[in-house]
Amino acid sequence: MCDLFALSASRNHTAAQALPIFAVRGRANVHGWGIGFFRHRLPIVEKSGEKVFFDGRLHGSFQSLARVVDSPTIVAHIRYKSSGQVDECHAHPFTLEFWGQSWIFAHNGKAPAIEPYSSPHQPVLEAKSDSARAFEFLRDYFLEAEPVRPHTPFFQVLKEALARLLQEYPGEYNFLLTNGRVLWAFTNHRQFLLLKGSQKLEEALLLTTIDEGLSPENWKRIKAGPGSSGKILLIAGGDLLHLENLTFPGSESPVSGGNGN
Amino acid sequence: MCELFAMSAGHHYTAQEYLPPFAEGARENINGWGIGFFRSGQVHIEKSCEGIFAGDQMHDSFRRLARVIDSRIILSHIRCPESGHMKESHAQPLTDHFLDHNWLFIFSGEAPKMLGYQSPRRLMSEPLLASRVLEFVRDEMESGLARQPRQSLFQVMAQGCKKLITNYPGKYTFFLANETVLFAFLNHSQILTYQDPKALGETLIVTTVTGGLTSNPEHWQTFPNHDPARGQILIISGADLLYLGHL
Repeated sequence: MCDLFALSASRNHTAAQALPIFAVRGRANVHGWGIGFFRHRLPIVEKSGEKVFFDGRLHGSFQSLARVVDSPTIVAHIRYKSSGQVDECHAHPFTLEFWGQSWIFAHNGKAPAIEPYSSPHQPVLEAKSDSARAFEFLRDYFLEAEPVRPHTPFFQVLKEALARLLQEYPGEYNFLLTNGRVLWAFTNHRQFLLLKGSQKLEEALLLTTIDEGLSPENWKRIKAGPGSSGKILLIAGGDLLHLENLTFPGSESPVSGGNGN
Repeated sequence: MCELFAMSAGHHYTAQEYLPPFAEGARENINGWGIGFFRSGQVHIEKSCEGIFAGDQMHDSFRRLARVIDSRIILSHIRCPESGHMKESHAQPLTDHFLDHNWLFIFSGEAPKMLGYQSPRRLMSEPLLASRVLEFVRDEMESGLARQPRQSLFQVMAQGCKKLITNYPGKYTFFLANETVLFAFLNHSQILTYQDPKALGETLIVTTVTGGLTSNPEHWQTFPNHDPARGQILIISGADLLYLGHL
């Protein structure tokens, strides 16, 4: 299973301490890696189809990038393929544009139902994998919602898109989606672990799917519980701004209120 | 009633198109004004106890500042005569540091009992309603997170605002921003938001001025609040309304 990592801060940060630990703890994922961030509005992604950890050592480029990538939001992915080839093009993160901005997306999960999805919009991603199709599906939903943009919260559109995704293409989805200023995360399987104000790693907000977290500290486990179709996290500037259960008609038993943990 | 203004953008922008119409829209408020913004994570505030207009002339400093201040988030406040003494220190925005951020705060409203709120950490000793409201919201957010560190900022703010309007009934509208995020709360009247249709995605303007700040009021989205016992919180970052939560 792939693993995800994100750092969010109010100002530029490197993840020089956390990223190597992430790679070491996620080293069972042997099908590539990627790091994404924004510079001057533009998404920048460095990725590779090679193993992140080989012969007892971290991939040299991953290690260098961990030291130098300096951004308020950093996303990383280590791949264990559930669909698609093993090459750079299939490594995450991916980038697409919608809602008037560029987005970086990284996914962990298994959703074979969405592999046949054919986007009516351009561009489509070169990768032939469930993750690429899931990202296109979300992009397409937002493109079609564009007319309501000035008066509709992003959260509402995302919630509707996720409900549609899960109804039409059921599967396991854990993903990170960022425009460089805010970071959205969704989980309906495994978990996210969140830590703010680490004494041992970067002081920024850190998020990962690695089961034990990245340090022996009090990581907060965020997991879709019984009755929930998933959890949506909104993170910005080093803060968890909002956390909400996803429910929709026909989903499992509804969860009371909108703000449950 | 005082009038509030905020601009949120994905990158540094000036509010030169919108601040002068904001001053025009609030010109009857003659008791001072302020503009606050962020630069490298630090708060900067320029304010005055002079009227925003003298006759037909907009305050010279306000006009010039509107042209040159650029920031991802800019807040401005124009003070009404009923809101307290004509001292520069009473003009808004107010600022404080809590929950690891520098914050800017502007407020408009009426809540007479709120002046009696005794914060363990007062921003100022004088009876300024805006100061008491900021102290209350800050204290509630801090204590909420101290009690339950796993909560989101929205949750602690929503709980704090609910307690505010329950314990101190009144009319509240405030904007609270750090260098990344703007929270807007109201339990009366309305807030209006605007995205320039020609530059969608560049900036989001938020104000309390009725009708908005452009010649095309139909492009302004209104968020009214009719029941003062309930309220709503908007979360904005960049040019996007991210979330709308009802208490």
